[in-house]
Amino acid sequence: MRDRSDLLGGGLIAALGLAAFWGGSSLPPVPGQNVGPNVFPAVIGIGLVLCGLAIIFGIGDSFEEPPKIVVSTDGRESEDVHAVTPVRFVLLRTAVPPLLLIFYALTVDRLGFIPVAAIMIFISCIALGGPIKRALMLGAIAPIFVHLIFAKLLRVPLPHGLLPMPW
Amino acid sequence: MTSTFIDALGLVFTFDVMLAIFLSAVYGLLVGSLPGLSATMATALLVPVTFYLSPIAAVSTIITASAMAIFSGDIPGCLLRIPGTPASAAYTDEAFAMTRKGQPELALGICLWFSALGGIAGTLSLIVMAPLLAEFALSFSTFEYFWLALLGLMCATVVARSSPVKAIAAMLLGLLVACVGIENPGGVPRFTFGFIDLLGGIEVVPALVGCFAVAEVMRAMTVAEPPNVGYRKFGSILAGQWKLTKEYPKQQTRGNIVGIIIGVLPGAGADMAAWVSYAISKRFSKTPEKFGTGHPEGLIEAGASNNASMASGWVPSLLFGIPGDTITAIAIGVLYMKGLNPGPTLFTEKASSMYALYIVFMLGNIIMIPLGLIMIRLATNILRVKRYLIMPVIVLLCAVGSFATGNNLFLVLTVAFFGVLGFIMEKYGFPVAALVLGIVMGNMLEQHFVTSLIKSDGSILPFFSRPVSAVLATMTIGLLIWPVLYWIYKKVQRPKLAH
Repeated sequence: MRDRSDLLGGGLIAALGLAAFWGGSSLPPVPGQNVGPNVFPAVIGIGLVLCGLAIIFGIGDSFEEPPKIVVSTDGRESEDVHAVTPVRFVLLRTAVPPLLLIFYALTVDRLGFIPVAAIMIFISCIALGGPIKRALMLGAIAPIFVHLIFAKLLRVPLPHGLLPMPW
Repeated sequence: MTSTFIDALGLVFTFDVMLAIFLSAVYGLLVGSLPGLSATMATALLVPVTFYLSPIAAVSTIITASAMAIFSGDIPGCLLRIPGTPASAAYTDEAFAMTRKGQPELALGICLWFSALGGIAGTLSLIVMAPLLAEFALSFSTFEYFWLALLGLMCATVVARSSPVKAIAAMLLGLLVACVGIENPGGVPRFTFGFIDLLGGIEVVPALVGCFAVAEVMRAMTVAEPPNVGYRKFGSILAGQWKLTKEYPKQQTRGNIVGIIIGVLPGAGADMAAWVSYAISKRFSKTPEKFGTGHPEGLIEAGASNNASMASGWVPSLLFGIPGDTITAIAIGVLYMKGLNPGPTLFTEKASSMYALYIVFMLGNIIMIPLGLIMIRLATNILRVKRYLIMPVIVLLCAVGSFATGNNLFLVLTVAFFGVLGFIMEKYGFPVAALVLGIVMGNMLEQHFVTSLIKSDGSILPFFSRPVSAVLATMTIGLLIWPVLYWIYKKVQRPKLAH
């Protein structure tokens, strides 16, 4: 019996392939030629459809390695991790980095680099299980260093916003 | 020749290049040694910085940082049994077993000493091989380039150590991503869905940063903090190495050669070299039963191999613009940006720059020894730095770094998107490296494909009738259909076994 995720993934890939084929082949060719921007996406589309079907039918499954667990629980170096505590709110935590990046893109022009960066650092530090005190400290220091490197040394135009830096 | 060499010396021994090499070496050592931060990630985050450097300094930072990161990835592997980079994963158990036997300094010394020697061997192969192949490559036309690029992509799917079908799907997905934008044979907006930001296509650097850095931080969110390493005083690190060099010359040479060969193959990089070499070492060892119990033999061979592949991986990159692995994929982007467009003519027209790169490779591997020694001494302190103090800065650097590549906030959104995509793909067994190589090589592959089709008036016959392309085509198609053949073979075998 196939994994449900493989059925879904294979289906998605095949559907994407169909869309690519259809979208690609509807593009006009280069004038005077019978090939153009249409060929390549169409070929890829066919490939994706075939791959999607192959995944659904489980071709190539036998090559998949069982996932290796790297964190060791033996040895004297790592005695304190015997209980690898399951992380709570996994899904929420996992979403933190991309959400923070979106937050950065949406607000940095209005709020300025330093406040937004401080918020990003603080939240991701907490999400990784850091104590609040450390998160506050890191949030206060790290943005200034990053600003120094990128805005001062590399001359990237980072928005000033509410809290301009003296340099 | 001599004058070019002197020119090259002049290019390398300037203050800014030296400073760039030193700083990127320290950076590479630090990032590589932190579990979860791979050499590719180190290199990807470095790209925005290279924008502001001179061409030689820019490429030097990539060379040095990646070589250092590959070595220092061995450190947490040895002390904590957590490989710092995927390239060290092959022999992590072996190195950790040596640590448990009370020989951490010997294990780390092997990693350092044979990494540096391997790097130098790889560099020599690059110096010898590249000009020879360049002459050969001058006769290549778009047909050969098309097959070569496709072969590189296919190699990347074979070495991915996951389902080849999923790897091919990931690669095709990358090619599809590369289709977005106006940069196509017709110059028409393709798959842009009316978004102006998509007209320029999907930038490679944000995609890379998303796949390798953001996805990595996301993964870190799902597991608890790794174990702490105890304080440890090391004895002499290099003491036993000369003896080992004399004791295992065959293993070392074989490791170097295998590493060089795998490096030259487009698409296969340091991780693959280490796995293959470790396996070869065990297979041909007189004492295979000692492997996994803290025996230096496999460590020597695999350590020599992955660093040798680092340098030779630059051969296809410099000659054809076809990356040997994800690190050189990034490097190719930097080369183009700095006007050192890859191709066989690079070796004739920009010879002094080429020599300069060779010198940087040598320098990088030589300074690896003293800096690596310091790094090993400091390692127990660095490994105690908590993850929650490093990863948040990485997230911020992802945002700022990708913004810096184009001064456009849309790039930050691209990073977020590819972070999520990379995370999901990795979780379900789709290798991200294949996706990234697809994105990097998409435009090139399409250009050669369509140009060839136009030349042949739509016929696919010339793709197979030219001698070199016929060979390349056979190899590529073989790699493409072998999972299907294997599957059919299994299906045929099973009923037979039942009888």
